[in-house]
Amino acid sequence: MKTRNFGAFLLAAALVLPYSALAYDGAAVSDGGSISGVVKFVGAAPAAKKIDVNKDKEVCDKTAKSDASLIVSGGNLVNAVVSITDIKKGKKLEPIKVTLDQNGCEYKPHVAAFPAGSTVEILNPDGILHNVHSYSKVNTAFNVAQPKFKKSVTQKIDKPEIINIKCDVHGWMNAWLFVSETPYFSLTDNSGGFKLTDVPAGTYTVEVWHETLGKTSQKVTVKAKEEAKVAFEMGKK
Amino acid sequence: MAVRGIDEKEEKKSYGSVFLLGSGLLVVISLWAFWDDNITRRPWKAVQAAFYRLDYRKAREAYEAEDKKLKADPAYQELAKKLAEEQASLKKGASANKLKALKADEIEADIGFGNLDQKVKFIKSELEEAWYEYDHAAQQGRDIKPYEEHIRGLDRQKAKLDPELDAARAKRDQIRDEIKKIHAGVKELETQLAKLAADRDKWIRVIDNVTVKLGPLSFYKIPNIRQLTLPEFDRNRFDEPMARVDRCQTCHLAINRPGFENEPEPFRTHPRREVLLADSAHPPEKIGCTTCHEGQGPAVNSREQAHGEVHYWEFPLRRKTQAQSSCVSCHFDAQRLQDAPLLAEGQRMFEQMGCTGCHLVKGYEDIPKVGPSLRRISAKVDPSWMVRWVENPHSFRPNTRMPNFDLKENDATSIAAFLWSVSKEEGDQWLQEHPAPAGLKEGDAALAAKGKALVESIGCKGCHGFADGEAATVLGKEKEIIPNLKNIAAKVGARWTYHWIKNPRDFSPATRMPSLRLTDPEALAIAAYLTTLGAKSEAIGGIEEKFQDAKNIKRGEGLVRKYGCFGCHDIAGMEKESRIGVELTTFGSKTLEDLFFGNRTEVGRNWDDWTYNKLKTPRIYATDRVEQVMPQFNLVDEDIKALRIVLAGFRERKTPPQYAADRGQRVTQVVEGRRLMHQYNCVGCHEIENRGGFIRKYYEQNPGLAPPILNGEGEKVQAHWLFGFLKEPIPIRPWLALRMPTFNFSDQEANALVAYFNGLSKVEVPYAYFDDRKVPKEHLDASRILFGKDYFNCLSCHQQGEKKPEGPSEGWAPDLNLARNRLSPAWIIKWLQDPQKVQPGTKMPSFFPGGPDNILGGKDERQIEALRDYIMSLGKGAAAPAGGRVASR
Repeated sequence: MKTRNFGAFLLAAALVLPYSALAYDGAAVSDGGSISGVVKFVGAAPAAKKIDVNKDKEVCDKTAKSDASLIVSGGNLVNAVVSITDIKKGKKLEPIKVTLDQNGCEYKPHVAAFPAGSTVEILNPDGILHNVHSYSKVNTAFNVAQPKFKKSVTQKIDKPEIINIKCDVHGWMNAWLFVSETPYFSLTDNSGGFKLTDVPAGTYTVEVWHETLGKTSQKVTVKAKEEAKVAFEMGKK
Repeated sequence: MAVRGIDEKEEKKSYGSVFLLGSGLLVVISLWAFWDDNITRRPWKAVQAAFYRLDYRKAREAYEAEDKKLKADPAYQELAKKLAEEQASLKKGASANKLKALKADEIEADIGFGNLDQKVKFIKSELEEAWYEYDHAAQQGRDIKPYEEHIRGLDRQKAKLDPELDAARAKRDQIRDEIKKIHAGVKELETQLAKLAADRDKWIRVIDNVTVKLGPLSFYKIPNIRQLTLPEFDRNRFDEPMARVDRCQTCHLAINRPGFENEPEPFRTHPRREVLLADSAHPPEKIGCTTCHEGQGPAVNSREQAHGEVHYWEFPLRRKTQAQSSCVSCHFDAQRLQDAPLLAEGQRMFEQMGCTGCHLVKGYEDIPKVGPSLRRISAKVDPSWMVRWVENPHSFRPNTRMPNFDLKENDATSIAAFLWSVSKEEGDQWLQEHPAPAGLKEGDAALAAKGKALVESIGCKGCHGFADGEAATVLGKEKEIIPNLKNIAAKVGARWTYHWIKNPRDFSPATRMPSLRLTDPEALAIAAYLTTLGAKSEAIGGIEEKFQDAKNIKRGEGLVRKYGCFGCHDIAGMEKESRIGVELTTFGSKTLEDLFFGNRTEVGRNWDDWTYNKLKTPRIYATDRVEQVMPQFNLVDEDIKALRIVLAGFRERKTPPQYAADRGQRVTQVVEGRRLMHQYNCVGCHEIENRGGFIRKYYEQNPGLAPPILNGEGEKVQAHWLFGFLKEPIPIRPWLALRMPTFNFSDQEANALVAYFNGLSKVEVPYAYFDDRKVPKEHLDASRILFGKDYFNCLSCHQQGEKKPEGPSEGWAPDLNLARNRLSPAWIIKWLQDPQKVQPGTKMPSFFPGGPDNILGGKDERQIEALRDYIMSLGKGAAAPAGGRVASR
């Protein structure tokens, strides 16, 4: 009987947890601290791999493209997303509007991070057929064609998930959407730096996600009105 | 002084104590009888009372929680306040006075109207009478004039009163309207409040349901038996229909109510209630509980009796997953049921493990032998390997389906010698006709590497494994339906392999191994690769002589008959042998008296434990006097449990047709087609019915190169095309290295598979005719534009005849010229509307909604129809590809 109850509990927990138990509660934060730092890449920085444009060359091959799946700048990792995974209360979660541009058969930005409930506008200034295919599991997957006459497509993304976006017409086109449950996320900039602001004092699990290198995390303690400095290290396993 | 004849002493004797005792006893017995009748013998009353208390408590708590929430809700507070104000204003002040005056007016107006109304009614009655007199006079030939005048007079009276009556009614209605208007504010507020409070007030109904009100007092309801009868569900010993009585819900009161998921039994909600107990599935108030769970439906005296877990009751309760065994009572196609996964797995095992080779079961008579034919075995295998294999197959292939007969080495040698001797003649002849291929050198590494590359690309891995633990398709948890070839060199040589893979049916006409249409060099390379897997078998000393020894051969024949090898293998001279095991058609209904426990005391005395142990250790019940021959299958516990569910479903009791689920022809076709599909292991490569496509695990990086998913195939393709394609596959996706094999299906088999796919997709009309003459020209013109680069640019990915798309082939999509013969026109519409819905994850994007505004009036449906027409007309000029050979238009 005991184990059965426990099983039922687990089931109930599994059903309920993602949406309610972990639900994030947002309000104004005063006296918040911040977390900042860099994500270091361990190992030899890979040389940029040129992408072989093998289709629609007259449009897609105008600009040289290189593989963006691992970009290291000055020993630091670009396009990683740093986020607090176990924060329940903090600043307000405000959905935003994100733009994903396919100009020249390449997604810009390559990684976009935004809160759940935001809308993504996908632009097609190329004048050729693209399709926007989300390989998502939590959110409803979409795969919409974007022919020449459709300059813009908008998709609302409701649930937190890391989504791979691809264009099946042009196999090299690849982008990532980091849909966050909380407002505490930061995409590392061109020097691998990040900053999370207005964090209420406390100890949190801070996680880095990178499309090629996976995830790593550490505990960080934030004091009111102070800046906590953190350095992450990631490398190929 | 004694009176004669009268015993004075007797007269004076007091019987008081006796009467007292007697009445005392009577009281005690009455009390006992009452107690026994209501409490001891009716334990369900206490259960029901406990449920009412639970239900009441929960409802009360829920009500209070909702009430608290409601009262904290500002919207509710505001409404409640407004309502109170409105109500107060009706009691005092200007509107109260007005209301009072209006009510007085209403009474007056009502009386006025009533008086008039009565007058008119009287006149109407008189008119009726007058007309009767008039008709009567006319019929008797009397003078009708006086009557006519009388009628006219009455008409005049009525005509005068009618407007007065209307005016009176209008006046009364107007007053009523005014009253209503004054009340309207309150009414409206009350409705709004009730709407807001609906979530709370529904609990009042629940509370009312378990209580009885008696003036100001409220009691729990008096418990009563909740009984359900299913007319003609059962048959008695004289085979006459009789009703099934089911009283389970006397105690299991919340079985079909949400909110009791975490309560203790018997008050728990049924798992997956919304699906399993839905009105469209198994509503317990209509079909009861014993239909699936068995037990003793009418018994309510004790839990054990109700659950049928008492001696001599033949149908004990089937709890949890065990209930899956009952699905087959009503569902002929049980593998379709998503809530009976164990049953489905068990059925697949039962069909493919070879159970039916030894055991007859009605409904499973036609399953072909699961093992390979041994008619030419002498031309195929190494003799020493064969002896070892017969001795214990599991030591060579731990996960093989072939069971271990636990034979001594000399027994195994005898059996092998016999099988060798009966296959020698045919085998030798085959060898003569199939010489060793030229160009095969032992240890040609380059050739073997070529073979390995082929094996990994053309689809061999959909069925076979080539290394430890590498198997795409497994049966149950770990059984390999198709051999793992990691040490195949110990078993067969390159010469046989070469000819076998080139044309398996040439060696063994009934084999399920298909042809991959290998060219000679390809077959040579693969044969070279396979000889590198494992080492040659070590020869057993003196095996030649043993195989020639007539006595040994004779002995082997006896053993083959004893163990029934012909149940699974085709053996020359043993074609007419019958199954050696007991019939299992009603095995699930066996009672303890029917089951032989031998001397085993540690096995629980029930059907479940007996069967579990039998499958786990098949000869467990053998004694010194009783021999048992069932071999060891080495099944894991989960597989045993799945098989046990299938066996438990083999019952004597049959559900009458009016209770059974659809048993139409289509369902039969699906069941038979699926069996065939499993025999040929289509699911090794293709996902069908959302299961299978096991080879896809090698294509995770590049799913575009994996075999197509066939969910909904019946709806997608035209029946005649599918038939032709199955008979003679043609490449539809030429960029795939994988090959759809040629199975050499018989017409019957190909038809059965087409019927299976059509049945799954519920295709009512398998043949659709597309009439080119009816296609409007504007559809074709519009589609040509839509197809173009500036619009949908279809040929960016799709091939069209010789026109191939740009870019690497893994991004390509099927040749649109094939559509005309291949695709169902209705499916094309569905596909264009939403490809993701038809095939989740497909690379085909949705172009609709959102077609261009400037074509066909910007109407999506018209554009889709136009595209369908155009696609269907594309292949018209092109030569009909093979596969469409069956029925050319």
